[in-house]
Amino acid sequence: MLELYTSEPNTFFLKPLIALAEKKAAFTSRYFDAGALQQFEASFPTDLESSLQLEREGPVLVHDGTIISSSFFMLEYISEALPGESLMPSDPYDAYRARAWGQFLGAQLGSIVPVLGCAKYLAPQLAQLDRSQLERQIAAIEPSERRIGWLAQLNGTYSEAYVESVRERLSMPISRIETALGREPWLAGTAYSIADIDAYAMLWVLPDLVPAKVNPTATPCIVDYLLRIGARESVCAALRTSHTGHPERHFVPGVEAARWG
Amino acid sequence: MPVILYHWEPNANSGKPMLTLAEKGVAYESRYLDLLQFDQHKPSYLAVNPDGTIPAMVHGSRVLTESTPMMEYIDDEFSGPPLKPKDARSRWRMRWWMRFFDSHFAPSLSMIGWSIFVGPAARQRPQEELRAAIDRIPLESRRIAWRKAVFNEFSADELAESKRRVLSSTIILERHLSRSSWIAGDSYSLGDINGFNLGYALPLSQPEHCNDTKTPHIMEWLRRIYERPAARETWAKGRTPMAARIKILERGPGA
Repeated sequence: MLELYTSEPNTFFLKPLIALAEKKAAFTSRYFDAGALQQFEASFPTDLESSLQLEREGPVLVHDGTIISSSFFMLEYISEALPGESLMPSDPYDAYRARAWGQFLGAQLGSIVPVLGCAKYLAPQLAQLDRSQLERQIAAIEPSERRIGWLAQLNGTYSEAYVESVRERLSMPISRIETALGREPWLAGTAYSIADIDAYAMLWVLPDLVPAKVNPTATPCIVDYLLRIGARESVCAALRTSHTGHPERHFVPGVEAARWG
Repeated sequence: MPVILYHWEPNANSGKPMLTLAEKGVAYESRYLDLLQFDQHKPSYLAVNPDGTIPAMVHGSRVLTESTPMMEYIDDEFSGPPLKPKDARSRWRMRWWMRFFDSHFAPSLSMIGWSIFVGPAARQRPQEELRAAIDRIPLESRRIAWRKAVFNEFSADELAESKRRVLSSTIILERHLSRSSWIAGDSYSLGDINGFNLGYALPLSQPEHCNDTKTPHIMEWLRRIYERPAARETWAKGRTPMAARIKILERGPGA
């Protein structure tokens, strides 16, 4: 039995939905409202690894009782464990490149894009709710690494100066991705792979969040790449799972920025 | 095709490919870089890895600079005993734990390590020389890290949070190893190589948290890895007292 605990198809949640559609895998969707903190309810599947959620928030795949968390490694798991075409390059060096991208994108886009999305959408949405109840819910979140991500939505972390500094941190990863795509059609070489699924799930919202940084003039290769991936049936199927019609407006706190170095 | 490995001590990121290559029985040309002399930011090395981070591995025309994916490449590319479990669930677990070590446990442990070892060692040199050396570091994030370590700019809050995380991560690792003899399950894997490079000196650096009474499973796991010929061979390449800390894992009478 394959069950995917997922929320609106954006960022971390979008990745396995695309990969499962690429594999044409049948699965049961367990939809939850991440913005309403339903992932902290007692009925949510949890174990030692998934309670830590290395990315702080994200989807959970339950395969015959085993809980698979952490979105990039979930993509690799889907590629390896389910029938259908592999989504990993077969050449060991290209596989290395896909994994190195997964690590880079996780640390960079995984920590930057959620801040920009939460500042624009999640924090204002939460501000409409009953604050004392929300504070009680957040205070109960364990571990503290995850609680901090939610506290940031309420405590004024997202000042304009802070958001601008985070926006500036996008320049390095954007420029590296643009350069890579200027050389080859896909991140790990000649074939579409989990590195591209991982990148797409974070990049596709940037024309909305940072139009000055991602646009046809500044980043023609990225814009073309988004169009190529966005046209895939798997991506259309993944986006159709949205319950709100606007997955691009739904964000959760992401990977913690490097604490030093 | 020869393998050339640019590395520092058998420790943390440098030790990961060193131990993996030794386990696979792959001979490599060793290029030792002295981290404290900023060898990794010199032009000759920046020609290999423009980011100036270590380790880096060159295999023919292929250049690899990320240590954890590098370990998977070594296992995929070379014959020798497999270092990844056969089933996909265990491979997922191995990767999850490697990311936990790399992105959660290691940064906290290394902040403490740099504040007491790398920083004071680097401060033996003149300030102007240090500033110039740091200004040559290509990645901004690494410049910030080096400035903090070299000029002792870690705040009390930052260090306290790192200490808290080292303790909580040690407890989590002990829980995991009490249900599983190796990181990925029943067999020794890259996950153990990764964790060993992070944790071999924990009983020395964190004696109050990591010892035979509080973390018997971690202690036994570290000793089992230390007893492997590949680990002996790899740590024998160490040149500093840092690598020599591994002696703490010698079994005493009754251990």
